[in-house]
Amino acid sequence: MPETSYAVLGVFETPDALMKAIPKARASQLGTVEAYTPYPIHGIDEALGLRKSPLGGMVLVMGILGALTAFGFQYWISAVDYPIITGGKAVGSWEAFIPIMFEVTVLFATFTAGLGMLLLLNRLPFFGHPVLSSKAITGITRDRYALALEAENEAFDAAAAARILQEAGATEVEILPAPDRSPFLTSDYILRVAGGIFTACLGAGLVMYFAIKLFPVLAPMKYMQDQPRLNAQKPSSFFKDGHGMQRPVAGTVARGHLPTATGTQDESAALVNPLPRTKEIFAVGRQAYKNRCEVCHGAVGDGMGSLTAAYGAKPANLHAQQFRDYPDGKIYWAIVNGKNAMPSHAADLSEPQRWAVVHYVRALQRAQNAKDEDLKVVAP
Amino acid sequence: MRTDAAQAGAIPEELIEPSLTVGKVTPGSLDDQVLAFPETKPPKQWYVGLAITLTALFIGLGFIGYTFVTGIGAWGNNSPVFWAFDIINFVFWVGIGHAGTLISAILFLFRKRWRNAIARFAEAMTIFAVMCAVIFPLIHVGRPWLAFWLFPYPNERALWTNFRSPLLWDVFAVNTYFSVSLMFWYLGLIPDIASMRDRTTSKLRKVVYTALALGWRGAASHWQHYEKAYLLLAGLATGLVLSVHSVVSFDFATSVVPGWHMTIFPPYFVAGAIFAGFAMVVMVLVVVRETMQLQNLITLRHLDVMNKVILSMSCIMGYSYLMEGFTAWYSMNEYLHHGFMNIITGTYGWAGWITISCNILIPQILWFKKARASYFWMILVAIGVTIGMWFERFVIIVISLHQDYLPSAWRIYKPTMTDFGILLGTFGLFFTLVLLFARVLPVIATTEVKAILPDAQPSHHGDDHHA
Repeated sequence: MPETSYAVLGVFETPDALMKAIPKARASQLGTVEAYTPYPIHGIDEALGLRKSPLGGMVLVMGILGALTAFGFQYWISAVDYPIITGGKAVGSWEAFIPIMFEVTVLFATFTAGLGMLLLLNRLPFFGHPVLSSKAITGITRDRYALALEAENEAFDAAAAARILQEAGATEVEILPAPDRSPFLTSDYILRVAGGIFTACLGAGLVMYFAIKLFPVLAPMKYMQDQPRLNAQKPSSFFKDGHGMQRPVAGTVARGHLPTATGTQDESAALVNPLPRTKEIFAVGRQAYKNRCEVCHGAVGDGMGSLTAAYGAKPANLHAQQFRDYPDGKIYWAIVNGKNAMPSHAADLSEPQRWAVVHYVRALQRAQNAKDEDLKVVAP
Repeated sequence: MRTDAAQAGAIPEELIEPSLTVGKVTPGSLDDQVLAFPETKPPKQWYVGLAITLTALFIGLGFIGYTFVTGIGAWGNNSPVFWAFDIINFVFWVGIGHAGTLISAILFLFRKRWRNAIARFAEAMTIFAVMCAVIFPLIHVGRPWLAFWLFPYPNERALWTNFRSPLLWDVFAVNTYFSVSLMFWYLGLIPDIASMRDRTTSKLRKVVYTALALGWRGAASHWQHYEKAYLLLAGLATGLVLSVHSVVSFDFATSVVPGWHMTIFPPYFVAGAIFAGFAMVVMVLVVVRETMQLQNLITLRHLDVMNKVILSMSCIMGYSYLMEGFTAWYSMNEYLHHGFMNIITGTYGWAGWITISCNILIPQILWFKKARASYFWMILVAIGVTIGMWFERFVIIVISLHQDYLPSAWRIYKPTMTDFGILLGTFGLFFTLVLLFARVLPVIATTEVKAILPDAQPSHHGDDHHA
């Protein structure tokens, strides 16, 4: 539709000429009057009758919102979701939140001022405006001042507008055609945009996955994990014997493992088992026996453990009369100090665990050598 | 406006601002002079400069790579000097950036029209300096690819950041500063890029500039919002520029290290930042002015005013140093006293004296009008201030840390080659970006300068609505 025109543009040489032409153009009432200038001209807002920019209010509101957001976020994190006392301050003490509140206020306000001006108020980016494809635009962004009478409706009289601008002193007058208004939101276009968004999301997801999951485990990023260290079950060149795991230094006493059974086995005979014979104690003793004693002494204490064949050793059969006659203290002494091929278990078993094992050994002995009266019913 | 006032006789002749340009400058000639740079081939010197800065940049990248492979044990940091070159350089570069924001925002609010010619370059330097600055905390965290843990976001570790830590305030302050500076810079560039879009003949440039200019068409209704946004951004950036280096100084001031725990730190840091930044701007602008023949736009008057700012900041720094000494003496605190004596007589006393002579003594030459107009003296002062301000941060960080409360923990700090290499690399990055900027974007805010040229504004614009 080449016959409809969007606007008539008159070009002026000086800001003075432009300012003089504005009242005449406005008085003609042929269309909306707009000026195009290379830089802001003082007093043009009043001359064109522009309303005051609402940007200040927008920025104020968003700035306050920024402050409240920052405060709420920090308070919720520091006092509600993850309360940790730092520097002896109450978790909700707000004074430390001020710097970040300020920064977020400025951030919100800045983006409102910048993007609000560009996107909301000026409707940019917009590349299809007729002025951009006019001949005058090279002057407008350089050193010319243009005044436009823009069509408000179909009845726009371009010829009259051109005459008015010429009379007002425009050196050049240009009639701008209406922009192409053929629909661009076709289904094909929407499909392509949706496809583009999908591809972009997929790409972004892959990049994020790589950045977070793969990138940190590549060299040299993983060097932090690969530092030389001792692994308990791995060989190590650090020690002479080539083992990563070393025996504790002789005489090492772990917490709770005080060796009360010092001296000879006979001297320890007088020690008394301090633990009561309860179900729980027997359970502890049984577990400790299974962990530490069973491989050699066997599950029932008969000296037929699974290691016996491998080493050709002869662990004690705890059911022998000799051991059944042992006082508790002597068994305890053997656990703490070891005997013959048996190593000390002082580092493996805590004090109560040792005495619990003694109880359990006693139970095993009695179980293997049961008497008739053991069969009587203890409780109904 | 000027003729108005002169006719009315309201303003005495000597108070009327002289023209901010030399010779005849019109909006058209301004465009032809400034916007032509991106359209012409750079001279040989530019390539030589770029080769030098790129070499420095790649040396730095090499050392950063070495740091990543071996860990930050490659640096000289030790116990108790846990913070050394990394934080010195961070504070140094963030400080350099402050001049740009001061020129673009604070001087804008004060209606200092001379700022228009130098604001663009100074803003660009702000952005480049902040880019250099953030490198250091990033690589100091040891695993920079996990640096996003600094941000409070819901994560599978179920952890949140500690909002009582000044280091986290720093994360917010520096990120906000960078975003705001970038926004400010870009908004200023839009009309200039539109000018370049409409004058270029190259197809590729046309496409790039068209996209960057966002379809700017100079409509009066747009200018109205634009000016409002610019004013608001200037106000916001003014508060921000004062806050950023204050927050940086909180990293030190909120700790209990003797020599750091002082209330003077925030203003002292801000003044120091503006001081160092102006020195860098003068240094770069003198080179730009000569090599790009911008003597008619960046006049000796501009340099004179900037040198006055440097001089006044130097006096504030002198006051701050004296106040540090006074605090040490008046507090009667033996640790503070020991820390201050370390600056002037300790192992690193030489660094203390470099700081004092470069920052306080050398700039005093600028009291002379002749020195303020002489390239030799202003470059000497600018280089001196840059060195002096770097050593000031060295003094604050290394001297305070290497001897604190417990003598058994005292240790001497020695930087390694890696430390120097990375510092060199950031200088390379900064000047590479400066050189690239000078050739692809308008180095002078042509739109802003056009608005302050003689006859740029309607002479009797008041008459229309009074009549």
